[in-house]
Amino acid sequence: MTDLSTITLGSTTDPYRKAEERGWDITNATELAAPLELEADVVIVGTGAGGGTAAENLSKAGLSVVLLEAGPLKSSSQFDMQERAAYRDLYQEGTGRANKSGSITILQGRSVGGSTTVNWTTSFRTPPETLKFWADSMGVTGCSVEELAPYFQQMETRLNIEKWGMPPNPNNDTLRAASEKLGYSWATIHRNVRGCLNLGYCGLGCPVDAKQSMLVTTIPTALDNKAKLIHHARAERVWVEGDTVVGVEASALTPDGWGTTGKTIKVRAARTVLAGGGINTPAILLRSKVPDPHGRIGKRTFLHPTTLSMGIYDKGIDPYYGAPQSIYSDHFQWQTIDTGPVNFKLEVPPLQPAFAAAFYGAGGDMLTESMDKLINTQCMIALMRDGFDERSQGGSIELNDRGEPIIDYELNSYLLEGVRRAWHTMVEMQFATGAKTARPAHKEAEHYRSWTEAKAAIAGFNYAPHKVTVGSAHVMGGSAMGEDETRSVTNSDGKFHHLSNLYVMDGSLFPTSIGANPQLSIYGLVLKLSTKLASQFSA
Amino acid sequence: MCSTKDLRVGVCSSTRMHTDRRNFMKLSAAGAAALSTMSTGAWLSGCTSSNAASGMRFLRPEDVELLTALTPSVMAGHVGPGDTDKIDRTVKSFDTLLGDTSQIVVDLVMQAFDVLNFMPTRGLMTGQWSSWSKATVQDTDDALGRLRDSNIEPLNAIYAALIRLIASGYYLVPEYLASTGYPGPPTKVQGDLAQVEAGKVEGTP
Repeated sequence: MTDLSTITLGSTTDPYRKAEERGWDITNATELAAPLELEADVVIVGTGAGGGTAAENLSKAGLSVVLLEAGPLKSSSQFDMQERAAYRDLYQEGTGRANKSGSITILQGRSVGGSTTVNWTTSFRTPPETLKFWADSMGVTGCSVEELAPYFQQMETRLNIEKWGMPPNPNNDTLRAASEKLGYSWATIHRNVRGCLNLGYCGLGCPVDAKQSMLVTTIPTALDNKAKLIHHARAERVWVEGDTVVGVEASALTPDGWGTTGKTIKVRAARTVLAGGGINTPAILLRSKVPDPHGRIGKRTFLHPTTLSMGIYDKGIDPYYGAPQSIYSDHFQWQTIDTGPVNFKLEVPPLQPAFAAAFYGAGGDMLTESMDKLINTQCMIALMRDGFDERSQGGSIELNDRGEPIIDYELNSYLLEGVRRAWHTMVEMQFATGAKTARPAHKEAEHYRSWTEAKAAIAGFNYAPHKVTVGSAHVMGGSAMGEDETRSVTNSDGKFHHLSNLYVMDGSLFPTSIGANPQLSIYGLVLKLSTKLASQFSA
Repeated sequence: MCSTKDLRVGVCSSTRMHTDRRNFMKLSAAGAAALSTMSTGAWLSGCTSSNAASGMRFLRPEDVELLTALTPSVMAGHVGPGDTDKIDRTVKSFDTLLGDTSQIVVDLVMQAFDVLNFMPTRGLMTGQWSSWSKATVQDTDDALGRLRDSNIEPLNAIYAALIRLIASGYYLVPEYLASTGYPGPPTKVQGDLAQVEAGKVEGTP
C-alpha cells in the first residue's frame, strides 16, 4: 500500500502571491463599496479554458481586457488536497449540479481557471471524425484537421501538453492490461503538466502548480499584460444598444457565492466574449433576451454521459494516488460515426473517498463493505459520445424563476442501451484482469463474483434514469456554431448571428459532443477565434 | 445568503416544485394522482413547519429525525442506531454539505424531506407510517429498499439523492476515513517550503 500522507508539501510557485509585486489588477467584487463601471476593448465572461485562452491572446495583441469570473480566486497556496473545501470552493454548486430530474450529476469548475483548475489534465486534439462531421453535417467552416493543427500545436507548446512519461498508476494500468487481454486498442494520455509529482489530486486543485491550468498560465500572462480580473462577479446579461452589444452587466456576489451584495459591475466594451461554458453561456444569452428567431439558444447541450463499474481486487490499487488519467481506450469510440448504437471512450477516474462514496450509488453493506476495500478498488468509466446520431439531440438549457440555469437532459433508450453495453464491456474487463468482484453502477446491482453472474445481471436490469448512476464532467454545446442561422447561434468565427460585437468562445460552441475530453478542443478553437477577433482591431 | 425563512418561501414558490409535481402527474400507477395530491399537501405542510434545528443551517428538527433514522441503514456496519455521536456528526456534515451546494439543490432536498416527513406520503412511499423516531434499522432498510426498487422515478431520485448525500456527509468527516484504508493526502504547509521527501515521490523534469 502506498502512503503519501507522510509527505509534506509547500508551494513556492503560486503566482498570485506576487500579485502586488507584478502590478496585477485583481478585484474581489464582494468587497466593492460602490457600483463599478469600467471600459475596455474586450470584456470576457469566464476564466476557464475559453476565457483564459482568449484573455492571453487578446491582451498580447495589445487590447485592454476585463475578465469577469463568478467563482472565487483560489490558488495553490490554498489547495490542500482535502475534498470538502475543494468541492465547496472550486465546483459549480459544490458538485451538486445536476440535470433537471437529478439523474445526471454534472461536475463543472467554478473558480478562476474554471474547469481547468479541477480537471484531470487529459488532453486530446479534437478527433478528425468529429471535425469532419461538423463540416459535413453541421455547417461548420474553417475547422478542418489541417486548419486547426497550428492552433493545437501552439497550445500544446504553451501548456506543455505531452504524453505522460511515468508508469500509469494501478487504476489506469488495469485499463491497459484489460485492453491487451481482450484485444482492444489502448494508448497513453497526453497531459498538460510541468514538473508533475504524480500525486493524484488534480481534481482538488493542483497543490504545486504543476498542472498547466488557465489559473497559472494564460491568466497570469493576461494580468501581466494589464488585463483586469474581477472575481465573485456573476454576469447577468449582455448590454444591448440597438442591434449592438456594448458590454456586460454583472452582480457582485457574497463571499460564499450564494447571494448578491447589491453592487453592480458594468463593463462597456467594443467586443463582448462569452466564455462561461456550456451551461452558463446559454443562460446569459437567455437572461439577456437577445434575438433568437430560430430558438437555438441553449439547444443541443451535450454531456458525454458517463457511467462506471467498480471492481475489487486482492491487490493494492490505491485509486486516489497517481496521475488520475494516463491510459484510455477508443476501441468502442469510432465503430460508427452517426449510425448504430452509441459509441464510448473508456478511461478511469481518481477515487478520493467522498467522491467514490458519492458515485457508488449504493447504501448499506453494499456501500460500506466496498468502501472498506477502497485501497483494492479499480473503477472504469465509459464516456458516451452524444450528439451524432439522430436519436441523440442532447438537452436544453432553461431558466428557473430566479434566472438560474436548469439542464433539461434525460437519458433516453438510446443512451440507456449504451449504459448497458458499457457495463458489459467494463465488467468483463475487470474480471479479465483478476477482479474478485465487480459492480456495474445500477442502483440494484450487487458485487458479482464471476463474469457469468455479472453478465446475467447486466442483461436483466431495468434500465431507467435514476436506476443507473450516470454523471458528466464535459458540458458542451448550447450555443452551437455553424453557417446556417436556423441551426446555430454563432457563425464559425464564434460571432453571434443576430447582434454585432458579441462572441462566444467556449465549449458551448461545439455542435456535437467532442468524443474526447474537451479542454484542448476549447484551447485550440478559441486561440483561432480570438486571433481572428484581435485582427479586427488592427484592421 | 438566504435565510431559512427565505429558503422556505423559495421552496414553496419555486419552479422546481412545479416541475416535480409534473413528474408525479406522469406516474402511470393507480396511486399516482393520490400521491400527487398528497405531495401538494406535504409541500404546504412543509411551508408551515418550523425553522432550522439548533446548530443547523437548513435541516429542520423533523429532517434531523429522518436522517438520524436513515444514517445507520446507509452506513451499515459503521454506524449503529446507538452511535449518537457518529450520527450527529454525519447529520451535521450533511447540513454543511447542503450549504456548500446551491439553492437549487437545497430546494430539491427539502422537497424530498417534505414528502418523506408528511405522514400520508411517507407511509405510502416508504411503508413507514409512524414517525421516523420510532423506526428500527429494519424499518429504514425496508424504506430505502422501497424507494430504490420502485418503478416510480421520483422515488428513485429521492433514494439516489439521500444515499449520495448521507454517504458523502459521512466520508467527508476526516476521522471516519480510517476504515477505507485511505492514508490521506500529503500534508500541505503554508509558506515557501517546497519539500518532497526523497524516494517517496519522483517529479518529472
